[in-house]
Amino acid sequence: MKMERSSGSHSLRRLPVSIWGLVVIVVLVALFLPGFARIGNLTNVLRVGAILALASYGQTIVLICGGIDFSIGSSVALCSVVTALAVQQLPLGLALTVGFASIIIVGAINGLLIAYLKLSPFLVTLGMLLLVHGFAAIVAGGLPVEVPDREGIHTLSGGVFLGIPYPVIIAGLAAGALHLLLERTTLGRSWFLIGSSLPAAQATGIRLRRNTFLAYVLAAVFVGGAGLILTSRVAAGEPNLYPTLPFETMAACAVGGIPLTGGRGSALNAVIGVIVIAVLNNAIVLLNFPAYAQLALLGIIMVGAVIAQGVPSWTRSSRIRSL
Amino acid sequence: MTSASSVGPDARLTGTTVGPPHRPHALTRDDVLLEARAIVKEYGSTRALQGADLILRAGRIHALMGENGAGKSTLVQILVGAAAPTSGTIALQRSPVTFGGVSDAIAAGVVPIYQQSSLFPNLTVLENLFAFETAASHGVAGHQSVQRRRLAQQMLNRIGLAVPLDQPVASLSLGEKQLLEIARGLGRDCKLLVLDEPTAALSQADTNRLFAALRQLASAGVGILYISHKTDEIAQIADEITVLRDGVCVISGAPLKSTSMQAIVSAMVGHAFNVGEKNLPAVGSSVLTLVGASRRTGDPEVSITVHACEILGIAGLAGSGAEEIGAMLAGALACPHGALTVNGRPVGRMGDRAAAVAAGIGYVPADRSADGLFPGHDALRNASASILDHLTKFGLLSRSAESIRLTAALTDVSLLPNQPRRLIEEFSGGNQQKVLLARNLAVVDIKALVLVEPTRGVDVGARDIIHNRILKAAAEGLAIALISTDLEELTSLSHRIAIVRDHRLTAELPRLSSPADVASAMLGGRQ
Repeated sequence: MKMERSSGSHSLRRLPVSIWGLVVIVVLVALFLPGFARIGNLTNVLRVGAILALASYGQTIVLICGGIDFSIGSSVALCSVVTALAVQQLPLGLALTVGFASIIIVGAINGLLIAYLKLSPFLVTLGMLLLVHGFAAIVAGGLPVEVPDREGIHTLSGGVFLGIPYPVIIAGLAAGALHLLLERTTLGRSWFLIGSSLPAAQATGIRLRRNTFLAYVLAAVFVGGAGLILTSRVAAGEPNLYPTLPFETMAACAVGGIPLTGGRGSALNAVIGVIVIAVLNNAIVLLNFPAYAQLALLGIIMVGAVIAQGVPSWTRSSRIRSL
Repeated sequence: MTSASSVGPDARLTGTTVGPPHRPHALTRDDVLLEARAIVKEYGSTRALQGADLILRAGRIHALMGENGAGKSTLVQILVGAAAPTSGTIALQRSPVTFGGVSDAIAAGVVPIYQQSSLFPNLTVLENLFAFETAASHGVAGHQSVQRRRLAQQMLNRIGLAVPLDQPVASLSLGEKQLLEIARGLGRDCKLLVLDEPTAALSQADTNRLFAALRQLASAGVGILYISHKTDEIAQIADEITVLRDGVCVISGAPLKSTSMQAIVSAMVGHAFNVGEKNLPAVGSSVLTLVGASRRTGDPEVSITVHACEILGIAGLAGSGAEEIGAMLAGALACPHGALTVNGRPVGRMGDRAAAVAAGIGYVPADRSADGLFPGHDALRNASASILDHLTKFGLLSRSAESIRLTAALTDVSLLPNQPRRLIEEFSGGNQQKVLLARNLAVVDIKALVLVEPTRGVDVGARDIIHNRILKAAAEGLAIALISTDLEELTSLSHRIAIVRDHRLTAELPRLSSPADVASAMLGGRQ
């Protein structure tokens, strides 16, 4: 038990007070918003939340390394288009594999450019967001690609095991996998060190390029899960699928207490943040607020969370050093 | 709008913003220009300056020296209004002033010239000279009137810079750019010019031009504060000198004529002249060898060997390249030329620290905050970073193995408080340094250790502990390279001391050389 004092509870202890405020909001929504606590609605929240969760796990890895990933939004769209086209030629399982692979390829390109060419994660992934959106639209011919219903594509997002929707089971297992990856592998540990101080990581002999590259590839594995469930849910190839996804993952991570400056974070942080965002998204729908209110709220949450995280103590001490 | 802005710039020009290059008014040589008294600057619990005094006079070139971290930059920032002192007073021509920002200081006649150029490379010399006035005019840039050109020419003449007014700045030499920057600064009724390492990137010819210009300015009554750590330049140009160490003035405004270079260096590095005689182990066979390494093609090539059980001291003033030689020995610096071997086996590409760690080379970099520590993580995780691959069980990182192995390593360096789970930033500088030492001593099959300034900014107690651990490591057979500007540390711990000047190994001093010998060798034998 003594070992558990490390990162999980560590980062939970450092959640800013304001986040507990948001948790209170969620509880209030649950108690007082009519329709929220209905089983049907809750299941829906969880189904949608599972997609955000998987994508946020990918974002968590990248943030811990001191990077950021905008390309999540377009890579799930690419996945849906590629899958929808492939399913016309291939069996469903294989088509989904091809769709998944397309996301891994996007992650690998991110990783190559950032780790080996030392380009800024911000610019690379923002560029990839646009490029992949454009590419998906070209491949799809500008219109959504229909998937024939007989293919049983809905199973992945709609299936239920022991009363629990598949996406929730997948997101739960993935959270465990992420926890293991971050806390119990040398690769995961190296991400924390790289994000905490790049020069120090270099001096200690950590393989910066390989491990940074792998961060983007493994992040893409989690995003790939989100892409497949999303594809299954819409049962179509949509070049403009879920454009706010990268921002929702960032908001979820920030609210969950993962600093956008790198070096810290955990699977638990991501899960907490996702729950908060998913519930608030749902509350907006239930309150019949317009869709753009959701965008505005997302912006407020993100900036608010970043402010609440405050100036980390070590940036102050590093300022002294520079004198 | 259009008509207003077309007359605007020239109206301003003839007004007060740019005075013609007149002599500073009512100032005669040796008048006190600026007087800073008992300046204290605290950053959190760190005292960067603890009561520094500085008196600058008209027509004098005053050198400010000190090692990195001595408080030079902090003092300069305060003088030019870029930082506010925690306490202390500044008086300009005997009336107290408080600068709210750099613009206040410039308006009062204290003009800083920085290392990084603030010129606009795509504009001409003329446009650059009036860049700020143009920007302040909020309109279409004024046409280049005859009057304006005459003014510009006078500004250039004042510092002896002969370049065509319409030449683009990008085509000027570095030295010409520096002079142009000074000319522009002088345009603003400058009383005191503050130059921070102005020759860092200059050729010898450009340096000479700069010095000629500075002498010309000084004779015209401008006060000059010249920050540098190049002692030979100071000897050439300065009239007076102040040396800072640990935030205190150890030499305060002494005339340069009556101060020996040796005294200056001693003041900067601050040693007590006693060789603490430690028992050093007998030296074994060669272990760590660097052959023909240079940072850039054309730079001097460095070759150096460290033997088993040997502590090789490497000494050089800041900027001499000693720290870089340390980084090369650790395989931490990518070099186009050169090879590193451990026990005769090549270590792979220069700059690949992963390969160097695998070969058993430990490395404690000079700047522990920037290049050593992992903030936000505990001492244990900071210590385990180099041996993660050796802490796995069934492919997974074993927390118990990590804890057992590194708690022992941290106890071995007497970490205080001995709490491996405490965040690294909560330890004192000395204990952070112990963690870095423990991290490297834990490297599996370690054969060599490169330590750069292992006790910089470290309290006396931790310093002794670190020194003893270094000696113990040598006795255990490690080859140790110790790069330090702490001459007492070097002379008491090293078997021999290699001297670095201008990125070259220029001399080697034997065991029990005095710190004075080392200091004079660092200066190139000049007294």
